[in-house]
Amino acid sequence: MMPSREYIPSRYAILPYYGAAAFVFVVTTVLCLVAAPAFAGHYFQPKLLAITHLAVLGWATLLIFGATNQLAPVIAERSLYSERIPMVVLALLLLGLLLLIPSFWFFSVTRWSYTGGALLLTAMLLHAHHVFKTMKHGRGGIAADCILTAHVWLILTATIGLLLLVNLRYPFLPQEHLHYLKIHGSVGMAGWFLQLVIGVSSRLIPMFLLSRSEKTGWLTVTYYLVNLGLVFFLVDGMTANSDWGRPLCFLLVLAGLGFYFLFVKKCYTSAIRKKMDSGMKQTFLALLLISLPFVLLSAAFIRPLSAPSLVTAYGVSFFIGFISTLIMGQTFKTLPFIVWMHMTKPDQLPEILPKDLFSERLVQWQMYVFLSGYLLLLMGILSTTLWMNYAGASLLVLAATGYLFHVLFIIRKLVNHAL
Amino acid sequence: MHFDITDIHYRIKQEIVQALFQVVDPELGINIIDLGLVYGIAVEDTDKTVRIDMTLSTPSCPLGGLIKSHVTLAAETAAPGFTVVVNLVWEPRWNAERISGQGHALLGW
Repeated sequence: MMPSREYIPSRYAILPYYGAAAFVFVVTTVLCLVAAPAFAGHYFQPKLLAITHLAVLGWATLLIFGATNQLAPVIAERSLYSERIPMVVLALLLLGLLLLIPSFWFFSVTRWSYTGGALLLTAMLLHAHHVFKTMKHGRGGIAADCILTAHVWLILTATIGLLLLVNLRYPFLPQEHLHYLKIHGSVGMAGWFLQLVIGVSSRLIPMFLLSRSEKTGWLTVTYYLVNLGLVFFLVDGMTANSDWGRPLCFLLVLAGLGFYFLFVKKCYTSAIRKKMDSGMKQTFLALLLISLPFVLLSAAFIRPLSAPSLVTAYGVSFFIGFISTLIMGQTFKTLPFIVWMHMTKPDQLPEILPKDLFSERLVQWQMYVFLSGYLLLLMGILSTTLWMNYAGASLLVLAATGYLFHVLFIIRKLVNHAL
Repeated sequence: MHFDITDIHYRIKQEIVQALFQVVDPELGINIIDLGLVYGIAVEDTDKTVRIDMTLSTPSCPLGGLIKSHVTLAAETAAPGFTVVVNLVWEPRWNAERISGQGHALLGW
């Protein structure tokens, strides 16, 4: 039962992911600015495909992989299976992105695009294998179930993605491309991101708030509802493609999310720690922001004629509003700790604390700028107002740049300490 | 944390407590005494051992091993010549009633 220092993985399995993801985040927001007019059109176009994949794979997934390498041993109370696999995965991911993203941006699908896609899928398989090996015999409970199942959905999403890439040049799928694209996107969002967030936060929120609640039963209900909805969505989408299939899956996932929020509410009300720092405030804000993509998706069901702009707004509200806000907040909960753990020696009382490694005020300002940018971009998409797209994207670039320098500032403390 | 003033180890226990004020929970920024994480201190003259029973704010805390090392280090400084043994215990479960007034204030109560 006793946690120990043995579960602290090497810095090389984690910190390069944080640094690389922060850099890709800046590149993604710069591309948003360059391609601001593209947000006014249909969601299926080269520039948006490139931006979406860069945001999803290079920013969010990359950082989540790094964080998982830190959290999987903590959740399972076991050591990381390998210190080398994370480095190989990172190299494969970055190389895969370098090959794939330009092919979307210039809409030129060549053998290099397939190589990039195959490298990304290989990286995901390797990472999933590594997480599974680390957590296999651990004490993870429902948190581990969510994390491991999320990785299964990630592999499925990436496999469908690779098939779609082939289908772009050599059409072989029986139905139209957009049909499979919706399955690819929805499975990735709910199966990978949402479920991973549920699993990880089910451990981190009680830990950071010092919650006394142990009501994990609600999380079990969440787990089954979300996965039932996803399996049904996948099977229905690939076979019958019924009219009521998608709304039913949507309701199942929504109901699952409702039970997750009951769990979060219980954690909040039973928290011993009443005063939240900016990282936790941002996390709760992100959890509230998740309602917006669901509202926009409901609107897309009801008003199919406005669907293309609503779907773009849905994607932006999910990845920029929910996922990015959450990641930015959690970065300043986890990264200072990771760096502090590596700076602190067991035979010496520490002179500084994790909170001394970053600026709380800068985290708040980053968030204000980021949220303003996000809301402007969202309003620009919904009202097809170009200047709002430009203004919103500019603020996102500013926030992402601040975030990158803040992350590098924290990592540099460890580098200086080690010299 | 209170000790019986007639206890022959009263003074050394007080000195250990004072030393443990330096050990801070890194997430909360509050020392482990104000947090009420230390359950008991026993001093054995026969084998020159100090036994400290303590808990963590959460069982899955990744810093448990590090905090335990720092408790050992601080107690050894306060009780030179003694071997310090730290036991992490999970019963009784740590709760808000164990936190001092100062700790409550820092946690936003």
